[in-house]
Amino acid sequence: MQFEVIAKCHTTRARVCRMKLAHGVTMLPTFMPVATQAAIKGLTPQQVESLGITLILNNTYHLNLRPGIKVLDEAGGAHKFQGWNRNLLTDSGGFQLVSLSKFTKITEDGALFASPFNGEPTMLTPEESISIQHSIGADIIMQLDDVVSSLTVGPRVGEAMHRSVRWLDRCIEQHEKSGRKDKQNLFAIVQGGLDPALRDLCLDAMIERKDQVTGYAIGGLSGGEEKDVFWKIIKQCADRLPSDRPRYSMGVGFAEDLLVCVALGVDMADCVFPTRTARFGVALTFKGPLNLKLGKHTKSMEPIDKSCPCPTCASGMSRAVLHHIVTIETAGAHALTIHNLVFQARVMGGARDAILEGRFPEYLRSFFFDYFGDTGYPEWCVNALRSVGVDLMQGVDVPLVKGSGVRWEYSDAA
Amino acid sequence: SSDHVQYSANGISWINVSFESFLEQTPPVPTYQAGSQPLHDFFGLDSSKHIVSLSLRDPLDAREMPPNGNSHVSASCMRGVRKVTPADWRSYVLTMRPDIAFALSDTPFTAAPHSQKRMTKSIERSAAWLADLLRPVEITMDDSSTESTPAALNVFVHMAGGTSTSARRASSHSLMETLHGLEANAVKPLLCLDEGVAGYAFDLAAFHVRPAPSLTHNDKGGGIEIAESSLILQNSESLAQAPTPNAAHTPTSLSSSMIEPLSFLSLTPTLDELLRASLNPLPVAKPRLVTDVRSPHEILRLIRDVGVDVSDAGWAVKAADIGVALDFIFPVPSSHDSGPDHRKRDIGHNLYDAKYAYDFVRLSDAFLAGCDRTSSSQTPVCPCAACSPVALTSPIYHSKVDVQSHQARLDDGMSRERFSPPFTRAYLHHLLHTHEMSAHTLLVAHNVAVLDALLTGVRTILSGHADQHEVATIFAREVTRFEEVYDGDMSVFHTARENWKDVKHARGKGRLAREAQKEKKV
Repeated sequence: MQFEVIAKCHTTRARVCRMKLAHGVTMLPTFMPVATQAAIKGLTPQQVESLGITLILNNTYHLNLRPGIKVLDEAGGAHKFQGWNRNLLTDSGGFQLVSLSKFTKITEDGALFASPFNGEPTMLTPEESISIQHSIGADIIMQLDDVVSSLTVGPRVGEAMHRSVRWLDRCIEQHEKSGRKDKQNLFAIVQGGLDPALRDLCLDAMIERKDQVTGYAIGGLSGGEEKDVFWKIIKQCADRLPSDRPRYSMGVGFAEDLLVCVALGVDMADCVFPTRTARFGVALTFKGPLNLKLGKHTKSMEPIDKSCPCPTCASGMSRAVLHHIVTIETAGAHALTIHNLVFQARVMGGARDAILEGRFPEYLRSFFFDYFGDTGYPEWCVNALRSVGVDLMQGVDVPLVKGSGVRWEYSDAA
Repeated sequence: SSDHVQYSANGISWINVSFESFLEQTPPVPTYQAGSQPLHDFFGLDSSKHIVSLSLRDPLDAREMPPNGNSHVSASCMRGVRKVTPADWRSYVLTMRPDIAFALSDTPFTAAPHSQKRMTKSIERSAAWLADLLRPVEITMDDSSTESTPAALNVFVHMAGGTSTSARRASSHSLMETLHGLEANAVKPLLCLDEGVAGYAFDLAAFHVRPAPSLTHNDKGGGIEIAESSLILQNSESLAQAPTPNAAHTPTSLSSSMIEPLSFLSLTPTLDELLRASLNPLPVAKPRLVTDVRSPHEILRLIRDVGVDVSDAGWAVKAADIGVALDFIFPVPSSHDSGPDHRKRDIGHNLYDAKYAYDFVRLSDAFLAGCDRTSSSQTPVCPCAACSPVALTSPIYHSKVDVQSHQARLDDGMSRERFSPPFTRAYLHHLLHTHEMSAHTLLVAHNVAVLDALLTGVRTILSGHADQHEVATIFAREVTRFEEVYDGDMSVFHTARENWKDVKHARGKGRLAREAQKEKKV
């Protein structure tokens, strides 16, 4: 990997970076769409690439089940298999083991889980996870971490954090002896739950291993924790992690979350949210989400966003047509998925330009005003941005909203 | 999605819109579309690239509906059945300005044969509704019509007459009859209805309805199925073998001679006989369109025997629905004989089959992938998004520095014209078994392209010889060869459908509930 910080925000901790991997250059900060089973649902790789996306995520757990390592090896890797020849990141499978498998027991060796095919106990070790990720061939691979829910408390959190460090060492070893270090880049994942002391210990250990990892992810979040705690952990990690390594917040997808993370010094994030919500009929816009299933959109002949360059909006496809087909016809899912991916890319692209031109604080203020101005700013966002020198409330008469402040478009009846 | 529809290599040049789904709202939402090409604009279609036609009903929907009346057609939308009058239809057509409009027709969706009374009604209604659409357009002087007057309507009519050649002949003759009196006044300056007709349509869906097992007139609910195979129509013996109506069960009032099962016990006409009966009295220089064809064999036979010009692609999309990648070519090259065991070739591949798990080849043998083409290759290329993947546009830049992401590609000389390797059978196999939507995207693109190539092949043969008789012979020979090489029973579809159902059950909607049930039982 060639990694270069090319601009820094003069107020916040945001920066613009250039990351060159085996399958090309990705400019950061960026959002990574999720192609769980070697496909962005409903779209072809050509479509995804023409939307300006250069980095997507595949899931190791799923690909290991189907199509399996043998097929991937014979295909020459996941890039060739799915026809995506830009950058690819794989997670280690740790999260799915915990979230999807009915029975998972973590031991020092690895994670013991029930195979979804035959229920047999199967072991996923750090070495095994790295080896599978080698077969998949992603440009960025993740360590296997001992994942606990962000809502877990007690000694389990510390145990998981310490084990994650030990497993990182095993992943590093497996990766180094593979001879693939020039093609595939290993990221560490900082754990420690919501406990700043544990996080600090983890950061100490993982920063010590800086020369053996190419980047750092902040894991163990986005599990339903309080947003006010979420941003503080992100900030703590981003403050301490080396600035010459990319920082990746896992499972972050709401636009406001992304921009807060960027302001705190994060470079990349992934989430199923924009693509999943598209399939459920919700279009994301700079004025908030639009639930196109609602009656209010039945007769609206306007596109989702006149200024949006995505093929859906550019072809003039009206909200009325989308309302008619969304959740009913697959073409509706495709049209909205395309739009939402471009929305995410525009949010991050706008951030890159703003940081480069020294106006990122204005970009933040303007985004939040357009998106939340009528409903109220989530208090946690105001707090988080204040911590890096941006006061969203200054000169603005917008109410504050407690809790996550997530916006949904409700029906006319509600 | 619209970017794929606009992709010129996909062979989609004519799109039919069935208006009925919009009857949910009053007035129907598309009528709000402004502009001079409302129907095109509403769907984001380019009138320089696409013909868009408008029918009320979905021609592939042959479900039984509440019967039509003298002045309404029963149409179906998400919220149930709606009645549409000729006046309604006329107003929708004039508002939406399609390139081609289908006149309302009274098609019975019960099994043939139909009584003479029913046939007569059907013919009379369809003629009356056609006449209503052909009435001259009044030019109103209100403010809303600042646009130029609409171009003359191109109206296609469904040929009426069911399974009776005499009824069909009669119906066509009535189109050609010089009109008199009130009828003539109504459609001035047309002298007969046919003068206003731009093309002839045949709706095969009604023919695919299998006869009910017991043909009592009270038995409305049973036995209305959609035949899965085109054999029902090709093989008219099967109609003759259906149980004869048991006269003892019919109520007395219905046993009068007004109810005759027309062709039932006599020699059943074949499909091409029926279509020719409709067309013989009519001018040859108007396009002939069929909907709900079920196989390439059927299309070729209809072209050969009836002179059909346009057919729909529904069956190719349905093949994609069930995971079949079509793989046939016309004319069949000499190298393409049937297999060594003389089994006919399948018209496509059921990619659910385990044998494709490691098959890293392009979807069709009959066509090359775009990246494989050499200057000397005889085999044509499949230009679809699956076999010849290529960037549709240059990538969208979301920030100034994005040029760095894409510059390297441009420097490499990777121009937009260069094709990526084709999507493989192994990948489609994976997508199908994991219930991923992009399988459908790729297979629809591919299947439509294969169908397009079939028709291109037909046109090449037909235009290749000046002598009409020679053409007919050569074409007939090629059709026979096609039938000899490719399996017209399409047995590959049966297995594919079973596989599709299994995956849907295991991974589709409702899966979690089904798995929870299984847990409870264990």
